[in-house]
Amino acid sequence: MKRLTAIAALAVVATATACGTTGNTSSSGAGGIYTTIDGSKQIDASAPINPFNPQGSTFMGYDAMSLGWPKNDLMNPDLFYPGLAGSWSVTPGQGEVVIHLRPQARWSDGKPVTSEDVRTSIGLAYTQGGSAYTVNSGAAGAAADITVVDAKTVKITQGSNRSNAFLRNVLSTVVVPAHVYGSLLPAGFWTTLKTAQGTGPAADKAKAVITGLAQKVIGFSPPADVSAGPFVLERINPGAALLKKNPYFYDAAKIVPDKVKVLNYTGNEQIWNYLVSGKLDNAPFTAVPAAVMARIKATKGNEIRKGYSPVAASLAFNQAHKPYDNVHVRRALAYLIDRGQLTRVASPEAGTPAVTTTGIHASAAKAWLGDGLAKLNPYKVDPAKATKELKAAGMVKRNGLWAMPDGKPWKVRLTVPAEFSDWVAAAKSIASQLNDHGIDATVTTSADYTLYLDELASGKLDIGFWLMALGPSPYNIYQRLYGSANGWSLLAGRLRHSPPGKDGNWMGGPEVVGGVNPGELTNRLNLATPEEQKRIVGTLAGLTNQQLPVIQLYDYVNTQFVNTTRYTGWPPAGSEALRLPAGVWMQLGMIEKK
Amino acid sequence: MKLFATRDASPAGRGGRTGHTGSADDVGTADAPIAPDPAGRRAAGRAVRRRLAGHLVRGLAMIWVVTTISFVIIRNIPGNPVLGQYEALIERGMSPDQAQRATAALYGFLPTGSLWQQYVDYLKALLHLDLGQSLSTPGTEVTTLIAHAASWTILPVLGGTLLSFLLGVTLGVYAGIKRSGKLGDALAISGSLLHGVPQYVLGLLVLAIFTTLWPILPAGGPVDVEFTPGLNGPYLASLIQHATLPVLTYALASYGGWVLAMKSSVATVLGDDFILAAELRGLSRWVLFRYIARNAILPLFTILALSLGMLFGGAIFIERIFNYPGLGLLLVNSIGARDYALMGGTFLVTTVAVIVANIAADLLYAVIDPRVRTGGAA
Repeated sequence: MKRLTAIAALAVVATATACGTTGNTSSSGAGGIYTTIDGSKQIDASAPINPFNPQGSTFMGYDAMSLGWPKNDLMNPDLFYPGLAGSWSVTPGQGEVVIHLRPQARWSDGKPVTSEDVRTSIGLAYTQGGSAYTVNSGAAGAAADITVVDAKTVKITQGSNRSNAFLRNVLSTVVVPAHVYGSLLPAGFWTTLKTAQGTGPAADKAKAVITGLAQKVIGFSPPADVSAGPFVLERINPGAALLKKNPYFYDAAKIVPDKVKVLNYTGNEQIWNYLVSGKLDNAPFTAVPAAVMARIKATKGNEIRKGYSPVAASLAFNQAHKPYDNVHVRRALAYLIDRGQLTRVASPEAGTPAVTTTGIHASAAKAWLGDGLAKLNPYKVDPAKATKELKAAGMVKRNGLWAMPDGKPWKVRLTVPAEFSDWVAAAKSIASQLNDHGIDATVTTSADYTLYLDELASGKLDIGFWLMALGPSPYNIYQRLYGSANGWSLLAGRLRHSPPGKDGNWMGGPEVVGGVNPGELTNRLNLATPEEQKRIVGTLAGLTNQQLPVIQLYDYVNTQFVNTTRYTGWPPAGSEALRLPAGVWMQLGMIEKK
Repeated sequence: MKLFATRDASPAGRGGRTGHTGSADDVGTADAPIAPDPAGRRAAGRAVRRRLAGHLVRGLAMIWVVTTISFVIIRNIPGNPVLGQYEALIERGMSPDQAQRATAALYGFLPTGSLWQQYVDYLKALLHLDLGQSLSTPGTEVTTLIAHAASWTILPVLGGTLLSFLLGVTLGVYAGIKRSGKLGDALAISGSLLHGVPQYVLGLLVLAIFTTLWPILPAGGPVDVEFTPGLNGPYLASLIQHATLPVLTYALASYGGWVLAMKSSVATVLGDDFILAAELRGLSRWVLFRYIARNAILPLFTILALSLGMLFGGAIFIERIFNYPGLGLLLVNSIGARDYALMGGTFLVTTVAVIVANIAADLLYAVIDPRVRTGGAA
């Protein structure tokens, strides 16, 4: 009986203590604790505090810093807010970029941020490959030389195969402290890099040495966070990360919160709970059902900030499968799908029906195409035109259902990953609409996104959903339609086209249409002048509108959740900063205590 | 047939229609000399060692078979993990260049060579207790991730299992004894009801009640990150606070099974001769309760041991609902990311735990039930 009493007493004490700590934020000062989530990844407390690790316990804009932060401009992807680089200059053709680091920039251990830090960071980026820092000598836009001009100035020179993406790739460089990461680069690294940038067996050997460092760099785990950002990681557990203010940050006076708490989540439902309970000061867009959205909006202080998001959802065809190789069939489907209706069902808050199919988000399309946008076929719902197109494709109607030209049944299978609720809803809406017009359409789901992508890439699917219009860079936009998924890929700096079913070509479109090679034009977007880019975008938009490798369904809207009860000064609707992490908003002096 | 082999009228004898047993101090009484002589003890010791060796050999064989099967299945799951990560980054708004840069080096973490070569490499590494490196948390050892997740799984699942066992078994005895009364009916119905409700429904219900309708407990996570980890009051209190809902859900979900199983077992024991004898001897209700409970609980020990083994499989739905970073969640995430090494490691740990629990249950059964120890000769 005594034991029972003791256990009961302990339980009461524990419960009382536990309840006493509910909502404890006592460790914060006047600036309070800013609570948010990281939309780019879930927290993994076992991951190293290393920005080169895709799952690393660092948070962009808070304790991970790049030289600059991209503005969300409709047309110009080279517009950046200053980050660790206070300013920069670039020569015409982007042959040279000179970075001027902020004079006051310091690491959280008090040491100054120097050009050597930038050089070391670039060296580490070479081990990971891609963009400006590739050891592939033929690659367009690869850096050829990095020169430390002085303690706060670095010059980065582009190789002979020029790309207009060089500046933005350089400005996106994440900078880490050389006194922490420098030992990862072996002695003679820069000599090895020079050798690797050449050709021949010695270059190949040197390339292998550099790329062989990739895993070591990714796996590197510093004992503590050393940050040049406004915050530094204090503690992390599987449920959240706690960052405290970095007193050495160059613009520390602009940073209002004393701490930032980044909550973890295992699914959207947790984010909904956080939003409904008013816990989050802000959260990036999360797909939310209408009923939950109503509850989120009803919570005191919750508001929504909307802006431009260069992403769109589309219905993509595998043109290697019949009858989708026939443009008349694709057009007929475009005439039968009511994009407004499906957007209301699938993404009422965060989507707007596509005005037509151009490959570009509607907001950017207006800027790129101007009056040309109105001249494109809008593919408004028109069953009569659809019938005409189907007949032109040789399709026949049997017993009220459209059939293949040889009379065999035509079954339209729309496939979507089961975990994307908006895509599933959109697919069901499309199937229903097509059924109403005598087309036997059904929806199938893949168990998860990884499996879905595998099925797409292996050419198993007839029609699938596909993200597109990924701007603001026009190359990025059209690379989704005329890139590796449609057969075009860069190998050693040379563009090649693989036949359908090979090398990930699942769209299976023709290499040349009406004398135009869309893959080549897309690749030129990285090399062209702004005027030429505009011409190419016009050509590609027209071609996409006529050929419909995809049907653009709805354009996403950047929908951010903010709560005004603790902080104010949020970016206004439509702000260029809206797509950046809140840590960058703070750097720009936007967040104030209420 | 001896009805009782006890010094103090406890039902520790052997025999009866279904057999029954008592506590360890009941063994070796004057009228039932179970304790063997020294030679007999040595023989019994040899028998136990033989038994253990047999179990270990069979266990190792089973681990190898399960490891091989899971290796083949895992390697044949469709889906390119790097492509999946690349598109996931694109979907989150990263540019293709950035996404490519972020994922290019991940190819270095994928196994290479033919399937057979990969299998041989995997087994060689296993012999050195090396489960490989994770792809979804690149550069991190799988053993580290599993150890980390296991530490979070043990609290809610072990706590929930023990709580539900104690509650279920105790109430199950009452339900069995009072099975024709209102209390027995109520307990049986509560058991059936909770046994029939899926874990995720219970989890969502508990979540809605205690975090939204009556928000007194945290909705997710294992502990508030604001508190310094260690043996200090606020941290421990936060730990308990965060574990309360997962433990409660797990306990509620498991409780029904224990109540129903115990009730059924009690109903069987109640028909035994020794119960009738105890009643005829006028023993108190409390003593009778102990007789019944001790004998009826035997079959449930095996289930409990296996449940404790399954503990290492985590509680997938509960961990996901409460954002509790245990082994179940780790396994689900590793499948989503096609993290072959992590999937293999998690399966292996679960397999080993169940096999070890099975062996432990068998040996424990021999300790608590003399009939097993003596080969059922009694």
